[in-house]
Amino acid sequence: MIEVKNLSFTYKEGSAPTVRDVSLSIPDGQFVGITGAAGSGKSTLTYAFNGIIPHCYPGDFYGSVLIDGKDTVETSLTDISRMVGSVCQDIDSQIVSSVVEDEMLYGLENFGVPATEIEPRMDEALDAMGISDLKYCNIASLSGGQKQKVAVAAILALRPRVLVLDEPTAELDPASSHAVFALLRDYASKRGITVIVIEQKIALMSEFADRLIIVKKGGILLDGTPAEVLENAELLQAEGINCPRATSLGNELAKRNLYAGPACRNVADALRACEIALGFEAAGANDAQAKLGAPSPAEGGQA
Amino acid sequence: MNGFLEYVPGDSFLHKMNPVAKLAVALLMVFACFITPSFMVLGLILVIDFFMAYSCGMIKQTLGLSKAVAGFSVILALIALLSTPEGLLLVALPWGYIGSESVLAAIRIVLRLVAAAVPLFLVFYVTKLNDLANSLVKVCHVPYKYAFVFTSTVHFIPVFMNDMAGIMEAQTARGVEFDGGFLKKLRLMVPLCVPLLVSSVRKTNSAAIAAEVRGFNLRTRTSGYKEYPFVASDYLYMLFALLLLAASIVSSALGVLF
Repeated sequence: MIEVKNLSFTYKEGSAPTVRDVSLSIPDGQFVGITGAAGSGKSTLTYAFNGIIPHCYPGDFYGSVLIDGKDTVETSLTDISRMVGSVCQDIDSQIVSSVVEDEMLYGLENFGVPATEIEPRMDEALDAMGISDLKYCNIASLSGGQKQKVAVAAILALRPRVLVLDEPTAELDPASSHAVFALLRDYASKRGITVIVIEQKIALMSEFADRLIIVKKGGILLDGTPAEVLENAELLQAEGINCPRATSLGNELAKRNLYAGPACRNVADALRACEIALGFEAAGANDAQAKLGAPSPAEGGQA
Repeated sequence: MNGFLEYVPGDSFLHKMNPVAKLAVALLMVFACFITPSFMVLGLILVIDFFMAYSCGMIKQTLGLSKAVAGFSVILALIALLSTPEGLLLVALPWGYIGSESVLAAIRIVLRLVAAAVPLFLVFYVTKLNDLANSLVKVCHVPYKYAFVFTSTVHFIPVFMNDMAGIMEAQTARGVEFDGGFLKKLRLMVPLCVPLLVSSVRKTNSAAIAAEVRGFNLRTRTSGYKEYPFVASDYLYMLFALLLLAASIVSSALGVLF
């Protein structure tokens, strides 16, 4: 459980707070997607979850962040790391080894994972990310996307209780991004791991996350289930966040009074909305034709 | 394609050697190079260098490295040539002369630096950095912090080289022409060192944070998962390197110059 109470943070070199009066509660096993415009304070907010602020970046820290009841200000970064696994945005600077196997071993060795568990954990994480064949590869020879998968696998192998990932699919192709989100969804729902992901790919987050948080100028603009957040399409557009096409379609149908359900998150939702809208139209046509005394389209009549 | 100081996988005897033994052999050979004045011993070490490079399939890289080191050492050799007037007068200079001994000293500098550089570079090409660092921590009890600084430094060399290449490409796209002479290229590259330095500092800071959130401070001497036992062949190679060092010391003591 993560509890954030009235959190504000101003970097030492900054004049205004990057995070302003944020309060939220994230229960265990929830998959939370955070998005917002560039410079809105998303990354700084995640730094609060993994203890990087205030431990690594000095500044004015107000409020509190509790992880399983432990205040991140009073707990050492190392102790926070036992609970929270993080993947940062700049993958090259996160990687500390030159070979994939060594990169996987790094955290496992540091946290004192028993030798008998190391190989199975390493293989499981590599397999989950679909990169078992890269185990003995030189990291310098990997593509950006492969490095990103290695970085995520190295954190998954540590089996933290909270995963904080800053744009973990930025360099991945659509199929791999989908697979990573599906995997994270599984980790959250089946293993009870809290997953917090910062991403610009709102369509993916809408499909897989339990909760979406939209950040604006360091504060929380919207917070709710994806369907609740996507209902505010115009507000999101104004913030430079493109809604998924399925959502735009559903919202357009709703605007024309052809659909009245929750916001569409994916193609399946959009198809359902279209079926409902077609039903409306068919019913409307039937009514009109009944008034004219003509056979309805449903009865085989020609419009 | 492997970059500078990047591990090249293989299964040669050098690859299989204990990392500490490899480093010990390389260091003993370096000491031998710097102690001996004898061309014969230096020549023998060079032959051993190239045999080792051949045995692990790295002749091409070794030749490239030798050329680079020789190019650099020529500058030192020239300084020695012009500033140590010893032996028979060959060419008179306004401030002294170039003597027969000066020529030998200059040649010795080039041979010495090439012979000493090859084994050290081979260590990096046939050993994973982490294995080298972890074995130094486990076997030699080197504090992990120092080992990590060493591995991080080497690890970041290709990263920074890529960054520099990226910055140069960006400048080329804006119309800067890097083609031309060395001095022109250098003049154009100097201002680019500022953005490189900024990104390097940022990357180093991020790397330190990334290491810390993955339990860097919890690491102890026994944390390493892999073991690095010494086998008979490791002792044999170290004994051979010790004999080489002994030959070098004897040649120096006896004043054997050829």
